[in-house]
Amino acid sequence: MKSSDTPSSDQQNDQSTYSQESDSASERFDMSSIVEVPRWQRILKAIDLPVQLMRIGLLVLILWAWESRTIFKGWSPFGFELFPEIIPLFQGVPSEAWDFLVDIWDDSLFWGDFWVTLQEALLGFVIGSGSGFLVGLLLGSFRKVAKVFSPFLIFTNAVPKIALAPILILWYGVDIASKVALATIIVFFIVQIPVQAAVSGVDPDLDVVATSMGATQFQKFRFVVIPGILGPLFGALRLSSIYSILAVVLGEFIVSKRGLGQRLLYETNNFGMGKAIGLITILAGLALVFNAIIGMMERRFLRWQDSEARGKVISL
Amino acid sequence: MTNAVELENVSLVFGGEGNNPVLAVDTINIAIPAGQFVAIVGPSGCGKTTVLNMLAGLIPPTSGSVKRNGKEVEGPSRDVGYMLARSALSPWRTALRNIEMGLQIHGVDKETRRKRAHELISLLHLDGFADSYPSQLSQGMRQRVAIARTLAIEPNLWLMDEPFGALDAQTRLTVQAEFINLWERSGESSVIFVTHDLEEAVLLADRVIVMTARPGQIKSDTIIDLPRPRIIDELRFDEKFKEAEHRIWKELRDEII
Repeated sequence: MKSSDTPSSDQQNDQSTYSQESDSASERFDMSSIVEVPRWQRILKAIDLPVQLMRIGLLVLILWAWESRTIFKGWSPFGFELFPEIIPLFQGVPSEAWDFLVDIWDDSLFWGDFWVTLQEALLGFVIGSGSGFLVGLLLGSFRKVAKVFSPFLIFTNAVPKIALAPILILWYGVDIASKVALATIIVFFIVQIPVQAAVSGVDPDLDVVATSMGATQFQKFRFVVIPGILGPLFGALRLSSIYSILAVVLGEFIVSKRGLGQRLLYETNNFGMGKAIGLITILAGLALVFNAIIGMMERRFLRWQDSEARGKVISL
Repeated sequence: MTNAVELENVSLVFGGEGNNPVLAVDTINIAIPAGQFVAIVGPSGCGKTTVLNMLAGLIPPTSGSVKRNGKEVEGPSRDVGYMLARSALSPWRTALRNIEMGLQIHGVDKETRRKRAHELISLLHLDGFADSYPSQLSQGMRQRVAIARTLAIEPNLWLMDEPFGALDAQTRLTVQAEFINLWERSGESSVIFVTHDLEEAVLLADRVIVMTARPGQIKSDTIIDLPRPRIIDELRFDEKFKEAEHRIWKELRDEII
């Protein structure tokens, strides 16, 4: 830079040098060459039309093959009966299921059964995952306690839980209590095991920091352990929500007076195949709703992981 | 006047009860007057961190006495701020809420702790990042948040365990400068700063203690007579600084090599 007498002329000089450099466009990247994508194009891209069309096409194909009873004709490649031929009495098609779904809309008896199953599944889910969470937290945090209980828990978990169902019905009766008990036992282990494992996976440095700040055991649970295990916990809860429905339907299959599982067994035994398929659809829908609610809670509580997953790092 | 910190014949043995006991710290004596900035340097595994853990009340000594302000240490205290080498921030808390954590543990009401956290955010040049999660911050910023969290409770004893070890050279200079600035303005706080970087120790501290390789004993204890406030990025090239660093290096070299 040239020497000059006054600061102002120095500044001018400086500026002119700078502008000269930036005039030669070839040396700098031209930001205006990047054209902003219009909003409608971005929305269209997010919808991803080809994928949607393929999905709809696949759905239509499945419904057509089913409704036209093509899938019941049987398929035996190389003489091996991979898909057996289904006799007409055992066939059920989507239109029959649809008729059933329309009919039950104002059938109070059906909604009574629906409520029984919903109640059983909800209670089993809440009691089972709640106790599984607490026990997992306790055993994960206190190694000595875990040592005492772990052989018992491992054995109990090894029991095929559904084998307990007949006993539970004897003990808790044919009403909802026995189904809640079955769902509770199944859900308990789905939550307890990953929670216990996750507790020991929490960053030990966070524990040291909290301890050095004088945190009580309760405060450590609140500020360090529980937030640290939310990821695995929600994974377990998603699974539990589906398994709680599975458990109560199985329980109702064995002995029950009311409930969708009981209805499903009745319809199947009486060859009401369309109705059975309709009921199965309702049960699946219920599981999807459960899962969606837990998914919403998960996104709310694990918002901090979003930014991590996106890798949005600000450097300074 | 009582010392801020007093270690008398302190020894610590890890893994007692038969299975290969290891003598980590061997009969050390340190007295630190209030308001002094002391750096402890020494080779890895020499028991530097163990000394801090005892002062923080996380582990009791096997023998000897560990005192803060004339009283035997019995557990963690509100008067002590402990900062680890890794920032150890809660990934689910924003920068602001991480800074508030100590205050929250001590039951300080939300309004007061938010105000205090915002003060520290601007003191450590973190403006605009209060609501960012640790994963969105750079290493240097995370370490600043950790400093802010340590100081939020206004401790009068700062225990720093290699706080800037993970930072790159340039970032480290900036954060060191901010840190020394905070301390020089804090008045009477005492600092025990563990590091294996001798330059850092001499730049920041009033006094540098060199520890031997395991079992950790005190090898030398040197007063660094450089004026304050210190402009550390310039001080690095000062003759008096270089001479002090060289003098202590001779002590340290035997322990490392």
